Order: sequence, then C-alpha cells, then structure tokens
Amino acid sequence: MNMGGAIRAIISFLIFVVLHYTLRPLLGWRAPMDFLILALLLAAVRVRPSSAAVIGFILGLISDSLAPDALGAGALAMTTVGFGASYLKAVFFADNLVLNAFFFFLGKWVFDIIYFIGEQRVHGVELVQQLLLWSPLSAAVTAAVGVLLLFIMRPLLEPTPA
Amino acid sequence: MARAIRSNTRLDLIVLSTCVVLALVARALPNTMRDPVATTMRRSFLAPLVLLQERSEKGRQSLLAADAKQSRLDSLSLDAMKAGSLEGENERLRKIIGLGSRIRWGFVPAEALHGRGIRDETTVILSAGTRAGVSRLSPVIAPEGLVGVVDQVDPTMSHAMLWTHPDFRVSAMSPDGTAFGIAQAHLTGATGGYLIELRGVPFRATLKPGALIVSSGWGGVWPRGIPVGTVLQEIKTSEGWARTYLLRPAVNPADVYSVMILRRERLAKGLEGVWQSVAQADAAAQRIVVSGDSAARSAALAEAAARRAVIDSMARANGSPALGATDSAARVIAPRPVPVRRPPPPDTTPRDTTPRRDTVPRRDTIPLRPGMTR
Repeated sequence: MNMGGAIRAIISFLIFVVLHYTLRPLLGWRAPMDFLILALLLAAVRVRPSSAAVIGFILGLISDSLAPDALGAGALAMTTVGFGASYLKAVFFADNLVLNAFFFFLGKWVFDIIYFIGEQRVHGVELVQQLLLWSPLSAAVTAAVGVLLLFIMRPLLEPTPA
Repeated sequence: MARAIRSNTRLDLIVLSTCVVLALVARALPNTMRDPVATTMRRSFLAPLVLLQERSEKGRQSLLAADAKQSRLDSLSLDAMKAGSLEGENERLRKIIGLGSRIRWGFVPAEALHGRGIRDETTVILSAGTRAGVSRLSPVIAPEGLVGVVDQVDPTMSHAMLWTHPDFRVSAMSPDGTAFGIAQAHLTGATGGYLIELRGVPFRATLKPGALIVSSGWGGVWPRGIPVGTVLQEIKTSEGWARTYLLRPAVNPADVYSVMILRRERLAKGLEGVWQSVAQADAAAQRIVVSGDSAARSAALAEAAARRAVIDSMARANGSPALGATDSAARVIAPRPVPVRRPPPPDTTPRDTTPRRDTVPRRDTIPLRPGMTR
C-alpha cells in the first residue's frame, strides 16, 4: 500500500470511529451497528495479522474504557477478530459486496460471542438469547451498514493504480 | 523465502499472544485497579470521543423528548386559550355575586341563552320561569345595568325582550334628577350596532358627555336607579321642544350570559344605592388616576427645570452663552435695557357708560326642586 492509500485508509478508519461515537448513540437501536468492528475489519485486511491484532487490542481497550466492568473483554474479542480477519483476508476480501457483507456479519458475530462470554455479565437463557438473537441482528445491521459505507466510500477505499 | 514467512508467522503469533495475555490481564484486574485505568483513558486521549458520545446521547434524548414537549406545549397553549375565557367568566360571576349581595333579596339568577337567528339580537331565553318566581314584565338586569324585560314566561324558562328591541322603552333620568327622558334603542347605520337614544329631555336640561343615565322608576316596571348608559352626545331631531341624547349602553346584550330577574315584590322597594357604590368606586379610581397624572406632570416639570439650571450653570462656568432663549441665568446676569417711556396717546373715544350685558347677574327662572343640586 502506497502513502496515499495509507492516508485514505487512516481517514476512513477515523470516520468509522467517529461514527461509532456519534451516529450509534444517536440512533440508540436495540440491535446497534458496530462501526468499530467495521473500522477494524477495514484496517485488518490492509495490514499484517500482528498489526491487526494490535489495532484490535487498542480499539477494544477504547471501547472497554467506556464500560469499565468489561475492561479487557472487548480488547480480547477485537484482538481475535482483527487477527483472524487479517489472516483470512485472502479468502474473503474479493471484490464482492455479498462476500464483504458476510465478512462483516461474521466479524461482528464472533466479536459478540467472545465479548459476552468474556464479559461474564449475562448468563444462561439471557446469554443464549443475546448470542442467537440480538447478536446476529446486530451483526446483520452492521453488515448492511458496512456494505452501504463501502459503496459510499468506494473512491476513498479503492487502491490506487500503480 | 520460506524461513522469512515462518519468521513472520511466528512474530504474528507472538504479538497475538501478547495482546491476548494483556487483554486477559486487564479482564482479571480487580475493580479498584480497573476503574482508575478506564478513567485515565477517558480523561486523556478518549476525552473527545466521550464528548462526542455525550452530545449524541443528549441529541437522542432531545429527539425523544421533542414529542412529549410538543404535546405539553399544546396542552399549555390550550390552557392559555381557555384561561382568557375563564377569567372573563370569573369576572362576570364575581360581578353577579357582588350585585346579588347588594340587592340582597327578591331576585332570581338566570342564564341568558342567546340564539343565532335574525331576531335573536333583540330577544333572549332565560333559564328561569314561573316556578322560580319570574312573572311577565319582570326586569332583567346585569351587574353593569339594564338588560331587558321578561315578556313571556313558562314554568321553567322565560323569554325576555332586550333593550335593543324596537318596542322597548324605559323612563330614564340623570342621577341628580335634572333631566328626564324616554330611552329606546338606536340602530347605528347598516353595521347593526346598537346605541340608546334618550328622547324627550326638556330643552332646559343639558347633559354633558359621560354623564350617567339611570332608570327613573316611573311607569311601574323598572325600579329607580338602574344604569341605562352614559351620554355620548346630543343629536339633532325635528322636535324643537326637547333634546335627544345618544347614550352608550351600560350593557352589551351580546356579552350577557348571567343575569338577574327582579321579582315583583322587590320592585316596590327600589334599587337606589345598589349601583351607587360602583359609580363611587369608578369615580374614585378616576380621581386617583387624574391626581397621579398631575403629580407625574409636576415632577417632570421640576426635573426639567433642574436639568436646565445645571446646563446653564455649566455654560456659565465655561464662559459660553447659555443655551436657549429661556435662559434664566443669562437673564439674571445681563443688564436689562432701560425701557423708553412714551406718553400715552390722548383718549379721544367717549367712554361707554351703559352697563354691559354680561355684567348683569343672571337669574335661573327654573325653580329648584327639593333634592336637586346645581
């Protein structure tokens, strides 16, 4: 990735982070979209797995700092998702919107599974309900929004021809 | 090549392991250590993001509360709209209660039910009938004064002719008894507004604008002392032997909703003094307003004089001429020119020795009746 591409990727990453802390609380949905996961996935496919793990860890700590009871759970989940996304980027990140949507959906769902298990705040039926109902819904919303944003931000995210 | 790939993979795994271990350590921290770490992060590099989130939350709360606020605002507006009519109704009821306490006995309170027909501006239905003691030709009054007279009576309701009716007449007079006449409705042009005209006032009796006219008590229907209206102006008619005055009615029938019907036995006792206190209170209020105005005017004059004196003194201190032609200080300092006296011209006109007409004392040829004031 050349310098221009890196700058554009960083700008896109920051836009997603800002959207996470502005649009998401403004909408306040029960199954919210997760712009941090989208930012992580978009960054992870452009860097090495170790870098993706570090980015995930930092993003996870950022999200955990606003919910101190779960400190570490988000970092663990995002580290795993970032590393996995970077590792599997060759498999998934073809120029196919449906595949990208599935990639976003899977990333968010895996994040939620690790997060809620690591957080240990919900148990039993509630945990099952969360992981099998609300998390997939949230993952679907995240995937839809991710695809929409990919479409909108295509000029910013497309690699520059050499 | 293969060794480099293996090395990179090992590095990736080491970094992953480190991050995972750090995350687990953070997860395992006790609450006493977890909170300071999170707080430090929130207060340092995460502060802008926290601020953004707070503002978004507030925006969401505002959006959610907007409907509730709007409905509350609508309710308040509705209440405010009702408040005006309620205040008016309260005022009317208070006046009715006050009138009732002054009349004391011999009256029937009733609601005036206005129709919306063509003749309904001259008649009204009252919510009291013979069962309540109402009889034909019972006077109908309001706190402000005369309303009309009952012309048909049913057991539970009655029909009243308002003073706007073409057949309505009432004998009226000035409160001091110097002027009498017959009051009747006066239609003011095509707009349909009603005034009252007082006809047949003796030519020698003059009424000033603003003078109160009350019922005289002659005729047996109306007791003496009920306000009919106030004089607006004299109008010219073909009758040369009497004056006709235009009155502003004391009561606008369209605004009357609560009235009192006087019973026959109350008429014999009269209603003198019932409206007197109201008139006295109005007069006292007018006197207070007038005296307040004059006090304010004299205070303003004194303040203006003081200011002018200060300006004059400053001008004098600066050596410049005082301002204006009415400079009292300049007049004091500057020497007055000595007037040149001229001898008066000789008076050549003969002096008129006949007495002037206006110096002759006038005598009122109308004998003063007992109880009349001039």
